Amino acid sequence: MRLIRKGAHRGRWVALLALVLLVAGCSGGDTAGDDPTETAEEFERGAITVGSTDFSEQEIVASMYAAVLEDAGYDVERRFHLGSREVVLPALEKGDIDLYPEYVGTALEFLNGGKGEATSDTEATTEKLREAFAAKDIAVLEPAEAQDRNGLVVTKETADELDLETVSDLKEHAAELVFGGPPECPQRPLCLQGYERVYELKFKEFRPLDAAGPITWAALEQGDIDVALMFTSQGVIADKGWVLLAEDEELQPAENIVPVVRTDALTDEVEELLNAVSAKLTTEAISGLNRQVDSDGADPAEVAEAWLREEGLLD
Amino acid sequence: MTALWRWLADPAHWSGPNGLAQRLGEHVGYAAAATAFAAVLVLPVALWIGHTGRGRLLAIQVGNLGRAIPTFGLILAAFTLFGYGLTPVYVALVALAVPPILVNTVAGIRQVDPEIVEAARGMGMTEPQVLWRVELPIALPVLMAGIRTSAVQVVATATLAAVIGLGGLGRPIVDGLAQGVTYNPAARAMVLAGALGVALLSVLTEWGLAAVERRLAATRGGATHWNITD
Amino acid sequence: MTRFPPDWLARNRDLVLAQLREHLELTLLTVLIAVAITIPLALLARRLPRLRTPLLALTGTLYTIPSLALFVLLVAVTGLSRTTALIGLVAYSLLILLRNILVALEGVPAEVRDAAVAMGHTPRQLLWRVEAPLALPVALAGVRLATVSTIGLVTVTALIGYGGLGRLFLIGFQRRNGTALLTGFALSLLLAVAADLALARLERRLTPWAEAAPARTGGAT
Repeated sequence: MRLIRKGAHRGRWVALLALVLLVAGCSGGDTAGDDPTETAEEFERGAITVGSTDFSEQEIVASMYAAVLEDAGYDVERRFHLGSREVVLPALEKGDIDLYPEYVGTALEFLNGGKGEATSDTEATTEKLREAFAAKDIAVLEPAEAQDRNGLVVTKETADELDLETVSDLKEHAAELVFGGPPECPQRPLCLQGYERVYELKFKEFRPLDAAGPITWAALEQGDIDVALMFTSQGVIADKGWVLLAEDEELQPAENIVPVVRTDALTDEVEELLNAVSAKLTTEAISGLNRQVDSDGADPAEVAEAWLREEGLLD
Repeated sequence: MTALWRWLADPAHWSGPNGLAQRLGEHVGYAAAATAFAAVLVLPVALWIGHTGRGRLLAIQVGNLGRAIPTFGLILAAFTLFGYGLTPVYVALVALAVPPILVNTVAGIRQVDPEIVEAARGMGMTEPQVLWRVELPIALPVLMAGIRTSAVQVVATATLAAVIGLGGLGRPIVDGLAQGVTYNPAARAMVLAGALGVALLSVLTEWGLAAVERRLAATRGGATHWNITD
Repeated sequence: MTRFPPDWLARNRDLVLAQLREHLELTLLTVLIAVAITIPLALLARRLPRLRTPLLALTGTLYTIPSLALFVLLVAVTGLSRTTALIGLVAYSLLILLRNILVALEGVPAEVRDAAVAMGHTPRQLLWRVEAPLALPVALAGVRLATVSTIGLVTVTALIGYGGLGRLFLIGFQRRNGTALLTGFALSLLLAVAADLALARLERRLTPWAEAAPARTGGAT
């Protein structure tokens, strides 16, 4: 048998093993090109990794950032739909990604442990967010006008049956209603925690589903949940004829979309490019794009790039 | 680790619709039902294939193909077809459970010594009788091994139900991930609790079914001999 | 409301190819690393039979932990990196490989071993000239099993940022895009079947003396 004939061949086995281990060792590293010793200047048009959390708006906005950077000559790696903020923020801190889109209010409350510092004043909230992120060597760029807040959604039938228009209207019925949302909702100050505190809503049951994605829509449609946590910029709410309850108390703060970037990946050019995107991004615009993706099934990257071209941000 | 014990010691984590007890019950339910359903679905066909020898090549191909199916993809595809609910879970788990039962049953029956089968026919037994009273008892250990393999695989894979929003012990794992394993010890404890739960269930299933196997083999009084007075 | 955009595949060829490549890389690395770890372990267990049970128990325990949980727990330590995915994937292959290699080595008939010793083989010659060649078929069967199971497991890493072709499942699932889902599904299925067939052929090619083995206790390990 060819493979194992003489004792001398044993040496070849050892060599083969060593080679295998060597190959494994060499290629077993991250593909994200980040070297923490590089300074911002040396990072000239190098590799940038753009991440996103796990819902379609994130992918659209992240695709915008990725597209303008790539167009300018950066080597962009896209890592989208990585998980909740609880997963993505550590990844940013660690350097597994270099930037992703954030929301000024929720991000601030996430970092300060729910102290309630976020208000509906975009500028003030953004400043506090900058301070909070500065300690982590993460820069907060200019916030866009576009905002996307948490919201509670019910079907039209439920709204008609229980006469629901505002979130406060839920209070007397909550004990019979099943509430569905992302698994991290119960621990978020602007999610279930906030609704329990500010509106005194005590739901019958909490169903952990996904971040206002296909599982939540299916569950709401099929009546497995009565109230869903969704996002105010989701066009699918109107398309399905669902009702977004009006927030009549002070819970949801300003939630402007803003890129957060590791300082060691940030150059003046990167900052300029991303700020240019934020300057044109309005709530109306992002809602329209969300609708194209969620309701019409369009591709987030294509939708993002088409919009960028319309706005003259991409050739 | 201490975070895990503290988390497990808190009775609030065991009770209620999102409690561990509920999740454990759901998990056992998914696994048991899927395995049982797969067995009921496949055994008659497999026994027939083994006995007649017809279609056994196809059975082997199906078995191989079954092993190659990505269960994660199947459950997502089934969700896309059937929506939120138990159907996708069962579609995926039953598909996973079928191949080992099929392959083992066919192989087990085929392995029976043809001389014994001939002798049985020679004694005047009808074909169904040959299968039922001679081939099946002899093939039982191999058959049970197939069911055991299926069951253990299904127990491990039932964690995927949580990925499409359902329950089971995959729920604390998925929720723990969403709540942040990097900085949140309670989240890590949740994931560990789910993991240990499944591991424990796997081992119990393996042992439990192995014990059933041994019991069945013992009452048969030996694999190759059957009593003429039966 | 799932759509099946017919041109999705054409427009996303680069994505599909990139994910296919990621899938192949992860699978190959996993199997190579796992084999590299298992062979010395198996040889160790052969030399010190006392270690056999603990080693099998250890790898067996790793195997009972649900894959998703292992990946998630690793995220806490190694983040969303490829290392996380690889550690989990290798851990799952270890039991299959170790068990198979041990069974393979032990499956060499005692008479053959005795005859070889009687002919004057040293223990080392015994291993390389007699046991290894005879153990190869079963060991290769283990590699085949480990490879096919790894191909399936790689898709689960989609939940921690990787996934290979599994990423296409997720994309299809999240965007209600049936074409993406089907593409990912079909390709991973094909990949697994192709790997299975290729390795089966390699098994037969390398061991021409092995008769078609009588059906062992089923596809179970």
